[in-house]
Amino acid sequence: MSIAPRKIFTLVEETLFEGGRPVEPTARVAVVGAVIKNPWAGQGFVEDLTAGIDEVASDLGALLAPRVAEALGAPIEAYGKAAIVGLDGEIEHGSALIHTLQFGDHFRDIAEATTLLPAVEKRAGAGTSFDIPLKHKTDMKQRSHHQSIEVSFADAPHADEILVALAAAAQGRPQQRLRAFGTDFGTDADKEN
Amino acid sequence: MMPNDTRSTAPALLRQGDPTSLEARWGIRKILTETTEILADGGAAVPATIKQAWAAAIVRNPWVGDPTDEDLIESPRRVAARLSKLLSDRLLAALGGVDAVQAFGKGAIIGEAGEMEHGAALTHTPYFASNLRTFLGGTAVISFADTRGRDGEILVVPLCEKHTGIVRDHYQGVRVRIPGAPRRDEIVLIAAASTGTRPFPRVGDRTTDQPLDQDLMNGVFA
Repeated sequence: MSIAPRKIFTLVEETLFEGGRPVEPTARVAVVGAVIKNPWAGQGFVEDLTAGIDEVASDLGALLAPRVAEALGAPIEAYGKAAIVGLDGEIEHGSALIHTLQFGDHFRDIAEATTLLPAVEKRAGAGTSFDIPLKHKTDMKQRSHHQSIEVSFADAPHADEILVALAAAAQGRPQQRLRAFGTDFGTDADKEN
Repeated sequence: MMPNDTRSTAPALLRQGDPTSLEARWGIRKILTETTEILADGGAAVPATIKQAWAAAIVRNPWVGDPTDEDLIESPRRVAARLSKLLSDRLLAALGGVDAVQAFGKGAIIGEAGEMEHGAALTHTPYFASNLRTFLGGTAVISFADTRGRDGEILVVPLCEKHTGIVRDHYQGVRVRIPGAPRRDEIVLIAAASTGTRPFPRVGDRTTDQPLDQDLMNGVFA
């Protein structure tokens, strides 16, 4: 594999109770991340990032997407992504890998998704914590599915690496009970009454 | 396992919706499982991928505020056994089954309203530890770490080889950090395991160590 990850991380969170009440079925969120060498490490300012993207982005998406679907073990309803660039790199390097169709379409295909993938990009040292935003896979306005998961993987990324991750949720927020988008001020029917 | 053993190898179902379940009565709020596959270290690919995993349950601490002479033996027996099953199910699924497990460990992070002894009540009893050992197919003492801390506290859980414990190649640690837990009145109970040694172990073992003779130590302690 041209991307040669140093480590691959898989996190599964199962929520049984929220607000003191049982969550049924158990809420599941999964994250899979791979830490790879920054394709542009040690090259100074690289004006055109295309070659590195072409070399890495699709393989990375192909590695992570089936793994996060398998880890979740249930149909994906919401999804998100992350790129954490090691301290020697540019945030643009992480964005280059994840903000491409070559990367994202692997996840979109497996999730049967149509919307943009919400993302977090940041530069930090190994073990940093980051919050991956997730939104509904076909309707970004579906408020019940706006959620985040906090992640921290030990020992990644090193200064010359990039940690790239995908997150998937099998449902919206546990105990979600907000009004649907567009109904905050009452529905048209309410107004008529 | 022994004949007539009641310890099922099939994964247990979560039963939080049943108010009489251990999940409900003990407030098992979340279970997290993290797996790390180590493919390379020191700039070289490891010959075979090493998998390390931890599984952690966030449990309400029912003993907060109890006096320090309160008995902690009776009440946690059934939930400790339940937790050994819930956590080992997840480790075995993550690592590829009991035969893949080579090293194991356990740990607890106690929320700040609790006593350190409250964590011990869950980790050090046979109801948790012996069952965990059996489920993971080991025979050795399970190495252990604990701390008291706030949400997001980091605990590094030491692992040792599951049959003899003292196989040097297998000494390794896994880092656990859980966002939002433990709350002040919660305990995070952790089980951890690995499918292998450290990447590229090469510090020998008891059979290859040189004796600590006088020539070698000369001047070292002066």
